[in-house]
Amino acid sequence: MTQTAAALAAYDAYWAKSFIPAADIMWMVLILILAVIALWQARTFVSEF
Amino acid sequence: MDLKALKKQESKRKISKGYMWALFCAVFWGIWYLPGTVVWVLNPFDEMYLSIAKVSGDGVSLVVTAVLITAFNALTVMLALILWNGVLGKYGELGRTLKEFHPCSKWFFLASIFGGPIAILGSFIAMGFIGGAFAAVAALLYPVVGSILAYYWYGEKISKRAALGIGVIIIGGITIFGGGLLTELSSGTVPWIGYLGGLMAAAGWGIEGAIAGKGLDISEPDAGLTLRFLGENIIWWIIIIPLLALFGFPMYSFALQVFEPLTMLVLIFAGITFGFCYVCWYKSFPLIGVGRGQGIGNLYGMFAIIFIFLFFGDVPQWTILVGGTLCIIGSFVMFTEEASALETLRGE
Repeated sequence: MTQTAAALAAYDAYWAKSFIPAADIMWMVLILILAVIALWQARTFVSEF
Repeated sequence: MDLKALKKQESKRKISKGYMWALFCAVFWGIWYLPGTVVWVLNPFDEMYLSIAKVSGDGVSLVVTAVLITAFNALTVMLALILWNGVLGKYGELGRTLKEFHPCSKWFFLASIFGGPIAILGSFIAMGFIGGAFAAVAALLYPVVGSILAYYWYGEKISKRAALGIGVIIIGGITIFGGGLLTELSSGTVPWIGYLGGLMAAAGWGIEGAIAGKGLDISEPDAGLTLRFLGENIIWWIIIIPLLALFGFPMYSFALQVFEPLTMLVLIFAGITFGFCYVCWYKSFPLIGVGRGQGIGNLYGMFAIIFIFLFFGDVPQWTILVGGTLCIIGSFVMFTEEASALETLRGE
């Protein structure tokens, strides 16, 4: 199944008012950055305790 | 440096790490609202909602669609946790914890019942039959249930300062969602099932935290949480979805349509945020206790508002700003507690 035009329009509408440029991509980038920091902290935690 | 000072320093480090994990939990929980919101407008979930609503009404349709979304969320959480455990080299520990059903894994399977179908389904029932703000406020009360249960069950100490901090964060959360709550409650007759859903959310997550606190006495959080989600996947995919299909809802036909790039991408990011949020939540419990871990975790309400403001451009009302400030004050009340008060988390 592919996305319908209505579904894509509704999806795009969420990011349209954002203050962040390319918000439809940047939210995923932010999650990846946070995930990498959390994994790094978890590895540090394992080695420290 | 003498032994006493070293012990004090070690305890201080553990406490600060505990607060760090609880804060990570709140950030991931808050940002989860981005994929958790947009997934509803994507195929096949938007069409599933419309198709069931035509036959069974909006409330039932919301709950049934939420079951399918939650089941896929649980699947992608498992993928995220496999990655987490792989990076930490915990596969061996995972196998050992799974094999030890009686002392260890039974607690995590039990936690999956309370945190999965009871809390999550309850939250969606509250959302479907009353509204999103009511569901959010009801869920914010879970640290009260968690800390009371942990106190009576295994004597977890909760200082006056920690209780005050949890209380201020809850009041802050209620202020954040309060405007919407009043609108929803005054919009007409509220069905009792909506209140039951709210109660299920608060009790479910609170009980889950207390059970996890017990299980984490004898196992470690990364492996324990993965087993908790194994349990949740079994509940959704082997019990609830087949049951709903038996009742005539088109669960399988819509489930098979999920494999579309954008929907999968959004579900994977929902899985990363939800999985990492949960594992951080569990990691905080042995370090600062269930009550404090859940209290700081409650800051998710404030982070959700911040991320929604930044990425969706929804400007918050002044009540939300007041609520957010109260949440920050509540956290500082807890962060600044003397380390000596947390040296022993359990009473005699």
